[in-house]
Amino acid sequence: MPRNGKLIRITFGVAAAAAVAAVAVMTASAASAKQSATTLTGAGSSLVAPAVSGIWAPAYSSAKGVNVNYSSIGSGKGIAAVTARTVDFGASDAPMTPDQASACNGCVEIPWALAGTGPVENIPGINGLQLHLTGPVLAKIYLGQITNWSDPAIKKLNKKLNLPNKTITVVHRSDGSGDTFVFTDYLSKVSKAWKSKVGSATTVQWPTGVGENGNSGVAAQVRSTPGAIGYVSTFYVVQNHLHMVRMKNSSGHFVYPSVKSIESASQILKKVPKDTGISITNPPKSKKFANAWPMATFTYVIVPKNSAKGPELRAFISWALGAKQQKSIQHLIFAPMPKLVVKAAKQRVKEIQ
Amino acid sequence: MSTYDATGSAARRPFSGRRARAGDLILQGVAGLAALGAVVLVGLIVYKVVQGSRLSLSTFGLGFLTSTGWDPVHSQFGAANLIYGTAITSFGALILATPLALGVALFLTELAPGWIRGPVTALVETLAAIPSVVIGLWGILVLGPVLRDDVMPQLHSALGFIPLFGPSSSGSTIFTAIVVLTIMILPIVSSISRELFLGVPAELKEAALGLGVTRWEMVRGVIFPYARGGVAAAMILGLGRALGEAIAVAQVIGAFNGPIHANLFFQGNTIGAELANEFSNATSNLELSSLFYLALILLVFSLLVNLLAQVIVRRVARKQGLVAQ
Repeated sequence: MPRNGKLIRITFGVAAAAAVAAVAVMTASAASAKQSATTLTGAGSSLVAPAVSGIWAPAYSSAKGVNVNYSSIGSGKGIAAVTARTVDFGASDAPMTPDQASACNGCVEIPWALAGTGPVENIPGINGLQLHLTGPVLAKIYLGQITNWSDPAIKKLNKKLNLPNKTITVVHRSDGSGDTFVFTDYLSKVSKAWKSKVGSATTVQWPTGVGENGNSGVAAQVRSTPGAIGYVSTFYVVQNHLHMVRMKNSSGHFVYPSVKSIESASQILKKVPKDTGISITNPPKSKKFANAWPMATFTYVIVPKNSAKGPELRAFISWALGAKQQKSIQHLIFAPMPKLVVKAAKQRVKEIQ
Repeated sequence: MSTYDATGSAARRPFSGRRARAGDLILQGVAGLAALGAVVLVGLIVYKVVQGSRLSLSTFGLGFLTSTGWDPVHSQFGAANLIYGTAITSFGALILATPLALGVALFLTELAPGWIRGPVTALVETLAAIPSVVIGLWGILVLGPVLRDDVMPQLHSALGFIPLFGPSSSGSTIFTAIVVLTIMILPIVSSISRELFLGVPAELKEAALGLGVTRWEMVRGVIFPYARGGVAAAMILGLGRALGEAIAVAQVIGAFNGPIHANLFFQGNTIGAELANEFSNATSNLELSSLFYLALILLVFSLLVNLLAQVIVRRVARKQGLVAQ
């Protein structure tokens, strides 16, 4: 009899567990159905993260009642996430490679913000915006050919500075990154040696240096290592109180990343290429680009053309492309996008079903 | 399936009567399914890894194991430096962790006053529960700078003639990764060793002490020989943990994919760290496939280590005339 009772208890227990599980599943699916009406999830670029999760998401939530959840996991992971359809939209500062685009299977890539990447340093005794560098010298540092801050090539550009005899610690990203793409795209344009040896991509084989994960990883490493040089999205320079480097642009001016200098670089666009990404690094010598920042970049939102949340995504992206929203992120050093890019972007939004 | 039947018949014996058998059958079915699930899962993982690495296998072949570099721009991928980095960090951590762990275990079983044992044991085990990403963060922010400023330069100036202790400039190095891994495997090795030391029969220890030997002689002559096989197994378990650790290492090793070098105070990379950094960012099919190839190498590595562990444990057990428990 006791054994029989046990058997009954087990059977009852199993049935109860099954019932609980079924109820849980039903509640969960009901909850997610309810959630899907009011929440958009996105992931990717850490460059655009302060704009999306810091400014746009709260503004959109209070204006339209739609929540936008954005995770700053890096451009490469953002593309991977939208390819796997685990998020509603991805964000990347580098356009998708052909392999990535075909894997994403019918995704549309829409430019939605304009920002920049810039070198930062931590040289004892040197303040922000004091150090002057040229593209070729920066390339030599990252190639491991210039290894000391007192190198004649650096001294020549900084006659007024008292540069220490200190080893340069090169810092770069270890994860796939849009910042790396912009940075190496620029170096490829100003240094033949860089172009042939390393090239440009979201991940490259670095000849030297310390790899760190994410903008925050690079910022932390630069800040804690005397003698370090790294590159981060402009917003992170301000946020982490890092020392910016002035770069010589093609017109011969030493400039730093700002809304104006980034906006000026974007003027190089005559038309928006249809399928490829837009490169606006290193604008040529011209009066128009006299103060242009050479490492400016568009950053993209990537959306499946056939999405269950098509209408919501269309509404959100069109809203973000509006003049008011573009202006609302200027204090984070995002420049307003040129009119023709906004127009092309709005065209692409229409492709979302 | 033979194990399945064996457990079944063994479990059936103590019970009799038809009604009891129904409950037994349920238990047997559920447990059998769980075991089968684990086996199928491993099989599926191996299949997926092999299938994923096929493109890279056919492109690079075995040359992948001997070439160096990770260059998505020029589609050149090689694993030699990653294999070296994985080996040096894991064995380095094992060399540092083993004496420390044995010390901790001896202290907790033989030397510490009773009231200390409980809390310290709990704290050491807590170390194992810290998420690796937290240890990695601490590695970047605290450990790295300390090693860079107060440990590596001193070791370099004292032992700089050995190529392992070269000059350093950053806190993210192979050495930092070794120290982080040491901290991560210490609790594994020490808690198993502690259990083993506790298992040494009190009569043996008392007999030894009764003969008038010192405590150290007792440890060396009784405890260590008795626990040798188990300690070897604990070390291998720790090694397995170190081999596969990805996140914490990725955070502190500096992701250098250049040529293999001897300097521990310079950046390097490991298979696990490279997988963690690159897996979701792969920009081409060949890169993705090469990452699967790396995973395959790690899988084979771990399998060999496990086999080695079993061989060592058996051999030691046979030598002692004991059966491995």
